[in-house]
Amino acid sequence: MGPLIPQEIIAEGWNFFIAFVVGVGFGFVLEQAGFSSSRKLAGVFYGYDTVVLKVFFTAAVTGMLGLLYFSLFDWIDLNLVWVNPTFLWSAIIGGVIMGAGFIIGGFCPGTSVCALAIGKIDAMVFFGGIFIGVFLFGETYAIIKPLYMAEYLGNIKLSDVLGISQGALAFFVIIAALAMFYVAEIAEKKFPRKEY
Amino acid sequence: MKTKYMNPYLAGVLLGLVLLSAFYFSGRGLGASGAVKSVVVTAVETVASDHASNSEYYSKYTGEGKNPLNSWLVYEILGVIVGGFLSGALAGRLKLKVEHSPKITSNKRLMLAGIGGILFGFGSQLGRGCTSGSALTGMAVLSLAGFVTMMAIFGTAFALAYFFRRNWI
Amino acid sequence: MLTLKRLTFILFGLGLVIAFVPENTTKPYKLSAENMLTEIQFGTEMVSPDELADWLINKDPSIQLIDVRTPKDYNQFHLENALNIPISQLLAEEWVDYVDQGIKMNIFYSNGTTLSHEAWMITRQLGYENNYVLQGGLNYWTETILNPTAPSLFSADDEIAKYEFRKGASQYFGGGGVKSSASQAKSKASKPKIKRKKKKKAPQGGC
Repeated sequence: MGPLIPQEIIAEGWNFFIAFVVGVGFGFVLEQAGFSSSRKLAGVFYGYDTVVLKVFFTAAVTGMLGLLYFSLFDWIDLNLVWVNPTFLWSAIIGGVIMGAGFIIGGFCPGTSVCALAIGKIDAMVFFGGIFIGVFLFGETYAIIKPLYMAEYLGNIKLSDVLGISQGALAFFVIIAALAMFYVAEIAEKKFPRKEY
Repeated sequence: MKTKYMNPYLAGVLLGLVLLSAFYFSGRGLGASGAVKSVVVTAVETVASDHASNSEYYSKYTGEGKNPLNSWLVYEILGVIVGGFLSGALAGRLKLKVEHSPKITSNKRLMLAGIGGILFGFGSQLGRGCTSGSALTGMAVLSLAGFVTMMAIFGTAFALAYFFRRNWI
Repeated sequence: MLTLKRLTFILFGLGLVIAFVPENTTKPYKLSAENMLTEIQFGTEMVSPDELADWLINKDPSIQLIDVRTPKDYNQFHLENALNIPISQLLAEEWVDYVDQGIKMNIFYSNGTTLSHEAWMITRQLGYENNYVLQGGLNYWTETILNPTAPSLFSADDEIAKYEFRKGASQYFGGGGVKSSASQAKSKASKPKIKRKKKKKAPQGGC
């Protein structure tokens, strides 16, 4: 029953090896999907290339369903799986800043690594920028801290907030995702696109 | 040269399976910005260790016996580089270049990329994760933070898209 | 080829199923029926009144008595420092940390053995450790400790020793009918080891 390392079914020493292998899979798939191109990534915001939407939401839904089905078959203990904690204000404002970074820079950290691996210089610059941004945060931490720690809601799930079961929430997310996919397909037919 | 990308839905499913295997083996999902943080912390500690131990932010990760570089995400990111490279090599997409819209110059693109990176670096620390760590992984476990962060990122990008359209289309 | 249409079917189907299937609330470390049967047959969960008296006299801090009867019974009489968790509330949120822990030795008791043993079975089945049952309950406690029966002149040595111990214990607990003080019997009851609760490692993660 998973997760294997936290339950010491596999030795802890394997964890970093697994991290590496997971990373290889991550990078490989991202690049195969075209996430190594900033123009493709930004395309979803203009309609000409909705690959980000399709890959992101399909992946999220697959992960979601995978976890729930694994739990159903007793293959994983969901209590031992990390649920990222909600600090409401920092999640929102951090997200807004990241959104700006996305539309300006055309990357997110993971995709920029993937892109620089194939030689994209703009990705390298973007990646370098991340270091500066993190450093800035570290230096201004004392001032930002109250915002950073505000409105702590715990490791709460959206299904708890809405008062529905996890399976029901997954279903709704699937419906929403599928709806977005249909809209995306229509949008792509309307807007011109090229393979980059 | 026309380059062939994988069917996005298929790629999504595969990415979801990669994510699932991370959960199954290590009990955690993917991420990226955390690895950068580890490097920054290490750098600050090496160059200005007093500053690091005095700072509330850095001191969390430094100190006796703690090596911030010895983290799951750092190894994962190394894997991403290898994986991306392999895929690019197989598809013939390896090329050193600055990718930009024909409507702007290469230098402008680099400047924008730099600004975008800085914003993302700062935002990901504040938001406790980036698109892979907080939004994607978070949504898979149904965390509230995951959904909130995802909506904030995409919502903001959509809202600002009009103002930056010249750089892309 | 994974077209949107095919994807729709797959996702919609999987989503529908997962939405309607009741959520799996398995608790890991559940005990199998065989294991429980073995434990019951060995009686390892039982604590005799003598043992309990001994530990109480020595003011052993690692014991926690739990009275599983109704509050009414509890208020009428309960053993000193016993907690009242009526069996109907055994699985309630507020008591989880008391019955599922690895620090103290919980001893369930009731008037007889039935109720306390039921409490033990329920918690044991969930995999909780360190819970025990007071053999015979309060009835037996009163009979042996509070009002011990004097052995006949021809009893075996250990019978007499047991009686001496109980006499002393009875005095300690305010039982009736025994005046002469007996020397404190040396603590001979060996305590079963308290099983450290295997700390479920808190999930790690974050970015």
